[in-house]
Amino acid sequence: MIRLALRRDHVPGARGLAGAIAGPLLAVGIVTAIAGLVYQNDTMTAIVLLFGINAVMVVGFQAFAGNTGLVSFGHVAFMAIGAYATAIVSMDDLDKSIVLKDLPGWLADIHFGVVPSLIVGGGAAAVFALVTGLALMRLSGAAASIATLGLLVITVNVLSQAGRFTHGPRSIFGIPDKSNFFWVFSSLAVAVLISAVYKWSRAGLRARANRDDVVAAESAGVASLRARLLPFVLSAFLTGVGGGLYAMLLTAFSPASFAIPLVVVVLTMAIIGGVNSITGALTGAAVVTVLNELLRRVEDGVDVFGLHLKTATGMSGAVLGIALILMLRWRPAGLLSAFELQVEGRGDRPVAVPAAANAPTASPGGTHAGQRV
Amino acid sequence: MTTFIQHVVDALSVGATYALLALGLTLVFSVMNLINFAYGMMLVWSAYAAYVMLDHGVPFVLAVPLCILFATLLSMAIGRIAFRPFIGAPPITLLITSFGVLLVIQYLAILCFGEQPRILRLPSFFSDVAEIGSIRVPVLELITIGTGAAVVAVFYLVLNRTAFGAQLRAAAELPDVTRLMGVKPDRVLMVAFAISGAIAGVVGLLWFAKVGAITPRSDLDPTIKAFIAIVLGGLGSTRGAILGGLALGAIEVTLSATLSGDALGYQPAIVFAAVIAILILRPRGLSGTTLEPAR
Repeated sequence: MIRLALRRDHVPGARGLAGAIAGPLLAVGIVTAIAGLVYQNDTMTAIVLLFGINAVMVVGFQAFAGNTGLVSFGHVAFMAIGAYATAIVSMDDLDKSIVLKDLPGWLADIHFGVVPSLIVGGGAAAVFALVTGLALMRLSGAAASIATLGLLVITVNVLSQAGRFTHGPRSIFGIPDKSNFFWVFSSLAVAVLISAVYKWSRAGLRARANRDDVVAAESAGVASLRARLLPFVLSAFLTGVGGGLYAMLLTAFSPASFAIPLVVVVLTMAIIGGVNSITGALTGAAVVTVLNELLRRVEDGVDVFGLHLKTATGMSGAVLGIALILMLRWRPAGLLSAFELQVEGRGDRPVAVPAAANAPTASPGGTHAGQRV
Repeated sequence: MTTFIQHVVDALSVGATYALLALGLTLVFSVMNLINFAYGMMLVWSAYAAYVMLDHGVPFVLAVPLCILFATLLSMAIGRIAFRPFIGAPPITLLITSFGVLLVIQYLAILCFGEQPRILRLPSFFSDVAEIGSIRVPVLELITIGTGAAVVAVFYLVLNRTAFGAQLRAAAELPDVTRLMGVKPDRVLMVAFAISGAIAGVVGLLWFAKVGAITPRSDLDPTIKAFIAIVLGGLGSTRGAILGGLALGAIEVTLSATLSGDALGYQPAIVFAAVIAILILRPRGLSGTTLEPAR
């Protein structure tokens, strides 16, 4: 007999761990099934694929923000690097000779398939995260957020200047159109699997211990820099894969494609779903996609009770902004808070863990005590 | 020698703008730990206010104070409606809230003015060039430096010589004790938002007088510059904000003067890399006060 539960912490033992990893995977299965049904409608295919790619990126973002409590504005930079790296290794000879004719020989001769291209995209982002993270992960709180915003500015600047590799500020085009339903949602499943395995590993626990109480964690032998660097690199890899998928969906993009509006989308999805939960990341991506789609229809003009309503473009941004503020005011931990979907057998009960890593710690500040975003 | 002096004037004028930006931002931060992502949009709105007034024939001398008044009221309104409910929330929650505020007021700007750039019609002396001996300096740079010095002077007078200022400093240092002393935290917050808004009004005029055109999306550049300046100087310290702004101006002008050819394109990246390097050497910023406030 198997049942589903929403828990902050999993049932102890190997079976509990397996159930905790199976839960988010089941959530991916549900999301994929619904997406598959919507995908049958021809007008919705692009939206479904974009949703899947956004979900990959939100899961990637969550792996960092959820486990370390730091908010990164720089994940769009990893996405950009993933997109460009994937583009460079996946384009065919003819397109390369037109768009990237100054590419060094060893790169010009590479023509990878979908999976190696995505891994190169993720890997490039991960290496970049490792190098920059050694510096950035020493900062904490708001200073870290601002520094990651700096990372985005640096990346966009360098991508638009390094014309030999990126076609400069102009659009790069001719990337093979390989982001189909199968690759997008398989990538999502793999991303969730990696993220869940990490979350319930000792390394994940170390990161959350560091998030909840730096001093206590350090005195228990958890080195802050290492505890944060691993989730930073891991989440950069997942986000880079998302960027690669994005490149193969758009087939043409420029450094300007990776800007604040994209940050808004990923951040809103993660916050609304609940930044401390992988299941929440999927939920947030779904909720915001549906909301955005409805708003886009309103922007195009809708008829309500005989009235033709039409608003200026950009309204979806404003509504997302209001949703973000209301969410932070009334449910700052997001829809799912730190709860994860878990699969467990009958009779499995979690042991009463005294103040586990996910339990909110008390801090002064009234209603917001301990609710981390 | 003359080019060197010109670079120094350049650096001072750019630095003065950044210092004012950082000052307005750090003031609210010191009271409620809010790093305001919507701050650049305040500049855009005050520039739009000036644009509307100057376009309707309001004389420049009248338009400037009205524009500053508008920015002050707008800042207080935003503070009251959007940020006051979040007093005591963790800094990251506040940062993301301000992101939401940015999206909303940016949409309102798009709604009112559209995406097309609007040109600020300033009096002609703004584009003049003054000649002092062999040195040629744009008048706008002199105005910027002068305004910067004046605002900082007034700011310190208010902060150190008035009851409001004393309450502000007290609330920033020991919020609980200040409340016990009978100072209403709401009022302190509103004063902070008012001063921050007034400064945003001044900087908005200076910034867009230099840039020329206003668009609803031109807020990101000033916001990022203000962020770098306050992190560079040390979060939450007014002295640090001024120091950080001037340092950022000096770094930028030095790079523009020394880089050449292809490397010039990488200037923004080099500036950021330099700032991150400084932060790693001095994690508490140049002024050395606490980077992350105690919770």
